[in-house]
Amino acid sequence: MRRFLLLSGLAYALFLLGLATLSGGLLALALPSIIFLGAALLYGPEELQLRATRTLSAERVSQGAPVVVRLSIANEGSRLEEVLVEDVVPGLLELTAGEPSALASLPPGGTVELEYTVRGTRGILDFQAVRVAASDRLGLFRRRAMLPAPGRLTILPQVLRLRRVAIRPRRTRAYAGPVPSRQGGSGVEFFGVREYQVGDPRRWINWRASARHPRALFTNEFEQERIADVGLILDARQRVNVRSQGDALFEHAIRATASLADTFLNDGNRVGLLIYGWFRDWTFPGYGKVQRERILRALAQARTGDSMVFGDLDALPTRLFPARSQIVLVSPLCGDDLPTLIRLRARGYQLLVVSPDPVTFEVRALESQPSVALAARIAHLERVLLLRKMRQAGIWTVDWHVDRPFDQAVHASLGRLPHWFRAVGVGP
Amino acid sequence: MIPKLSLVSILVATFALALGYGLGGLGVGASLVAALGLLWLLGQRAGWGWVASAMLALFVGAAAVGTWLGVGAGWTLPGVVAALSAWDLDHFARRLGGAGRVVGVRELERRHLWRLLIVDSAGLLLGAVALGIKLKYGLGVALLLGLLAVLCLSRAIGFLNREIR
Repeated sequence: MRRFLLLSGLAYALFLLGLATLSGGLLALALPSIIFLGAALLYGPEELQLRATRTLSAERVSQGAPVVVRLSIANEGSRLEEVLVEDVVPGLLELTAGEPSALASLPPGGTVELEYTVRGTRGILDFQAVRVAASDRLGLFRRRAMLPAPGRLTILPQVLRLRRVAIRPRRTRAYAGPVPSRQGGSGVEFFGVREYQVGDPRRWINWRASARHPRALFTNEFEQERIADVGLILDARQRVNVRSQGDALFEHAIRATASLADTFLNDGNRVGLLIYGWFRDWTFPGYGKVQRERILRALAQARTGDSMVFGDLDALPTRLFPARSQIVLVSPLCGDDLPTLIRLRARGYQLLVVSPDPVTFEVRALESQPSVALAARIAHLERVLLLRKMRQAGIWTVDWHVDRPFDQAVHASLGRLPHWFRAVGVGP
Repeated sequence: MIPKLSLVSILVATFALALGYGLGGLGVGASLVAALGLLWLLGQRAGWGWVASAMLALFVGAAAVGTWLGVGAGWTLPGVVAALSAWDLDHFARRLGGAGRVVGVRELERRHLWRLLIVDSAGLLLGAVALGIKLKYGLGVALLLGLLAVLCLSRAIGFLNREIR
């Protein structure tokens, strides 16, 4: 456009000047510019009749996996001497190979193909349209259009396979599973001794106890193992999720939540997810692969945010979680969260807190100065104190330094129940 | 190939105008045109996006001033045509460089150069023919013809402008 204006302005000025001064030489100087403009008019593109088709090598991938995007633009109109095709790549995607734009000449019925590879961080990304600019060969006369070429790419958060996460809620569901149910019956772990009843297997008879009571037989009971209701809460409050060196603690929390959800669902449990940040994003509890997909999609779209209402954990909607069920909170935590967590415990929920450590996460990006070291030490002590208070309140906590792989942290902390947790009837 | 041709066009434009000024006894003008040519080359080497358009305007201005001062049209007309070519080739090179991938780059270049050659030749030829034509008419006829030409040019530019928008 600016080129066209410049050239027409020059032609016009020379022409007027030539007429005003009655100078044939000036009029002659205007002629090359006028012919330039005339050629552009003569060979300029007509109305664009293009059709774009987009294909993605995969519509659902995990974080970091490459996706090949193919675009085909077909010319259904007259010849286009120069066409610049540019795909509008969603901002969260990183180009790893190929080019999302091409310059070509398109005869009637001809096509131009674009192929490039992207990868990106989690999210549901919509490809909208392709930008097209057609011009004459001299590039003066240009027509632009946006061709619709929709496509949706779902990038799910990374899921780590965890070996085992031991939980012990107060109430379990009716179906068999891996969670100790605090009820006697058939199982693996010893639960207690009761009087023999007809039908009990003979190998369950406790001969020592029976020998002390000659008139009665006693049978061993084992703890039944069932599935449980697990409510996952992901803390998405902006103020507790720090960022450092382009990395966000929230991303680690997302991966941890995804891995925990996958593990609990694989064990057959009923799992729900609450993302607690600038609003409450609730994924209704469910079982199996469909629920896994729902939870991963919710996590893919999770964003941190600040809200006056959800600034602290007081607004946690406990009615969403079945009474006396297992709640798993993934949160970096802050000092004023403790009363709310203690209240949850008091209501009978079994609480497990997985806490990515924000102090070590932030300190690693700071310069090593005495003042920084002192501040980090104070912050670390505050955190240690908070976690200790939580443990004293019967809240099972996992202090996770995000430099350490989550599966290792989980295996060390959650691979089996702590001894004070395993004792029947003593467990909080 | 395109950058080389662009360089040649700048040199031709500078040489033609500077020589025209020099032969007309206008040494200062010749030096100024040479300095402009040098600036154009430097700007192109440095990748300044604005330099081609600015230099085209300045070269056309220099040609117009030269014609006014009596520099031969045989120098100014080729100078303007060469400056137009350099300006066009600079933008063409930018279009090629700005696109991620160019499909059939040789063919695109060949067709572009062919179009440019035709346009340049037509410009030179018509300019030369226009310089050779000598008409004698009165002031009224001149005013009428001028008004008609301005009207036609305005209509043409207005039409092009609307089409672009």
